[in-house]
Amino acid sequence: MRSIRVSIPLAATLGVMFSGGVGAAFADPVTITLNSWRTEDIAVWQDTILPAFEAKHPDIKVEFAPINTNEYNAAVQSQIEGGAGGDLITCRPFDVNREWIKRGYFEPLEGLPGLENFDKTSRAAWSGADDKAYCLPVAAVLAGFYYNADIFKELGLKVPTTSAEFIDVLQAIKKDGRYTPLAYGSAESWQLAYNGLYSIGPAYWKGEEGRLGLIDGKKKLTDPEFVDAIAAFEAWKPFLPSGQESLNYADMTQLFTLGKAAILPDGSWDINQATSTGLNVGVFGPPVPKAGDQRFLQEMPDMGIGINAKSAHKEAAKTFLDWVAGPEFQELYVNAAPGFFAMSSKPVTYKNKLAQDFADLKKGAELTPRLALDRLSAGTPPLDDETWRLLQVMFTKSDVTPQQVATELQTGLASWYGPQKK
Amino acid sequence: MISPAAAYRNLLLFVLPALAVYLVFAVLPLATSIVMSFFQTSGTSSDTFVGLANYERLFTHPTISGRFWNALLNNMQYFAIHLIVEVPMGLLLAALLTSGKLARSEGIYRTLLFIPATLSVVIVGFVWRLIINPLWGLVGFPLLGTESTALTTISLMSVWQYFGIPMVFLYSALLAVPNELVEAANIDGAGGWTTFWKIKFPLIAPQFGLIAILTYIWTFNGFDLVFALNGSAPGPNYSTDILGTYFYRTFFGSSGQLADLDLGAAVATIIFLTVLLVTAAYFWLIQRRLKSYSV
Repeated sequence: MRSIRVSIPLAATLGVMFSGGVGAAFADPVTITLNSWRTEDIAVWQDTILPAFEAKHPDIKVEFAPINTNEYNAAVQSQIEGGAGGDLITCRPFDVNREWIKRGYFEPLEGLPGLENFDKTSRAAWSGADDKAYCLPVAAVLAGFYYNADIFKELGLKVPTTSAEFIDVLQAIKKDGRYTPLAYGSAESWQLAYNGLYSIGPAYWKGEEGRLGLIDGKKKLTDPEFVDAIAAFEAWKPFLPSGQESLNYADMTQLFTLGKAAILPDGSWDINQATSTGLNVGVFGPPVPKAGDQRFLQEMPDMGIGINAKSAHKEAAKTFLDWVAGPEFQELYVNAAPGFFAMSSKPVTYKNKLAQDFADLKKGAELTPRLALDRLSAGTPPLDDETWRLLQVMFTKSDVTPQQVATELQTGLASWYGPQKK
Repeated sequence: MISPAAAYRNLLLFVLPALAVYLVFAVLPLATSIVMSFFQTSGTSSDTFVGLANYERLFTHPTISGRFWNALLNNMQYFAIHLIVEVPMGLLLAALLTSGKLARSEGIYRTLLFIPATLSVVIVGFVWRLIINPLWGLVGFPLLGTESTALTTISLMSVWQYFGIPMVFLYSALLAVPNELVEAANIDGAGGWTTFWKIKFPLIAPQFGLIAILTYIWTFNGFDLVFALNGSAPGPNYSTDILGTYFYRTFFGSSGQLADLDLGAAVATIIFLTVLLVTAAYFWLIQRRLKSYSV
C-alpha cells in the first residue's frame, strides 16, 4: 500500500521536472506536451505525425509523453491535481472521463472549428454532464464479421444482409460439412459481449435509442427488443465448433486463419491477425432483422484528446487539436495503426484494403458504442461484467433462455442504478 | 569468555538484519493492509475511518458476498483435491523411491518426477490447455468450459505440477528412518506393507502432517495457475474463482469491474485470518500430539 502512496507524488514530481525541463530547452517556439497511454505508438507520433504538424506550424513543438497503460489514470490524476500534467491529455472513454470532467481537469472545447467534423454520437464518450465537448474524438474500434471469401465462392454463398440470410448462410456451410460455420467459442466471455451481442444487438434495440433508453431508465433489458437481440445471438449456438465452451480467443482466430472456418465475428483491431496467413478475407457488417431495416454498427470510442485546464499554452494546444480534427492527421494515424478508425464524418482513405472495407461499413449505418460501458457499469454488479457472465452461461448450458438472461441482467442493474430502480 | 549478557547482545546483533527485513517487507505491509481495511480511502480526498463497513459490505452485499462465498467454497474444493490426490501421491512415490526396488535408477526417477515442479505456471497452463483443447488436443470434451469440471481440471493440473514437492519432502523423511528398525521388522517376519505402515509411516507422521498443512496454506494462497488459465474473472460463471483471484479482482479491478482498494484490503485480511486460524489450530491440536520417535 505504502509504495503506491509514495509513488504517486513521485510520479507527479517527475512529471513537473520533465515538462519544466522541456520548456527550458526550446525557449523560442512554444512547446506543448501530450500525455498518452499508448506507449507502443511512440514511434508513430515522433517520426510521422508530429513532424507533419510541426512542418505546418513551425512556432509550435509537440512533445509526446506516454505513460504506461496500467498507471495512466492514476498518474494523470495526481499530476493534474498537483497542478502539473501535459498541456494535452489523452482521454479515456465514458465513465473515467466523466469523472475527470467533473473534477475540472479539462478546458471546454466549445468553439473549436474542427469539432464540427464529429457528430453528437462520436462526441458522446467525452461530453460532460452539461453536454459540452471536452475532448476531441481521435480513434475508435469497430466490430463486424470477417469471412473467408474463397469458402464463400466455393459454396456459392452471398454475403448476408438480414438475420434470416445470415442463418441460411450458416446452415449452408454446416450442411456442406467441410468447414466450421462460425469460428467462435465461449471460453473468453468478454468477446461474447463485445464481438457478439453488442455487434448484432443494436439492430434490434435501435442503437442509441435503446442504449440511452437504458441509461435514462425509459427502457428495461427485459423489453422485447433486448430479449430478441439476445435470442438472435443465441441462434448462433448450433453453428459453433464442437467443444466451443473451451475455445479461447486465440483458438478462434487460429481456426479462421487456418482456413477451417468460414466466418469470424471479431473486432477491427484484429485485422492484421485475421489476414496473417494470406487468406482472401472480406468483411461484412451485422445483419438487420428485416430487409430494408436501418443498419447499425458498433463503433467503440477508444481515445480522445483534451486540453488541460491548467495549461499555460492553451492557444497552441487548440491549434494542435484543430489539426488533429482534420483529415491529414486522421489519415496518418489510422494508417499507422490499422484497426483504429477515424471518428470524423469527413472521408478518410485507408491504405489497408480490409480496413477500408471495414470503414465503408460505416456508410449508411447508425453508429453506437458498446451497450453497457456508459454509466451502467459504474456500480456492483457492473452491467458489462454481468453481460459477459450470463452470455457465457447461456452458451455453455442448454437450459438457459434469452428471457432468463434478460431478467437476471435487469435485476442486477436495477439493484443499484438509480434511473432503473423505479 | 564472554558473559551471557554479551552473548545475547551479539545474538541480537546477528538476528537484527533479518528481523529488520522481515518487519519492513512482511509485517509492516500486512499491518498496513489490515489497517486500511477499516478506512475509506478511494474516491475521497482524505482517508476516513469507517470501522467495519468494508467487512459489512463484503458479507452482506448480495453480489459481493455471493462471489466471496463461492470463491471460498471453490478454494475448499481446490484444497481437498490437493489433499486427496497430491499428498498421497507424493507419499506413494516417496515410498517406492525408498523401497530399494528401483536400485540404481532411483536418482533418475526422482529427478524426472520432480521436473514439473520446476516449470513456470504459465508454461504448465499453456501446455495443459493445448493437451485438453477440444480443437487441437486429445480430449474432445470441453473440460475447462464446463462449470462442473473446470475447477477439478485446474486442480489436477496443479497437482500434476506440484506432486514432486510432497514427494521429495517425504522422501527425505523416509531416508532418515534407520535401517536397523526395518531389518528388525523383516526378521520378525513383517512384509513390505506391514513394515511401511507399522514402522516407517509412524516415524514420518509429523512430516506428513506438516506437508498436509503446507498444502492448505499453498492452496488458500493459490492464484497463479487459475489466473494464467482464466484471467481475473475465472469462468465459466465464476466456477473456478478462488480467494486469490477474488482478491485480485477486488483490489486491482478487472476489465469489467472497478478497483476497490479498501474492500480488497478487507478480503486480504479475511484470507489471512482463514489461513492463520486453521494453521494455528492444526499446530495446537494435532501436530503437538504427533509423537516424534527418537532412535
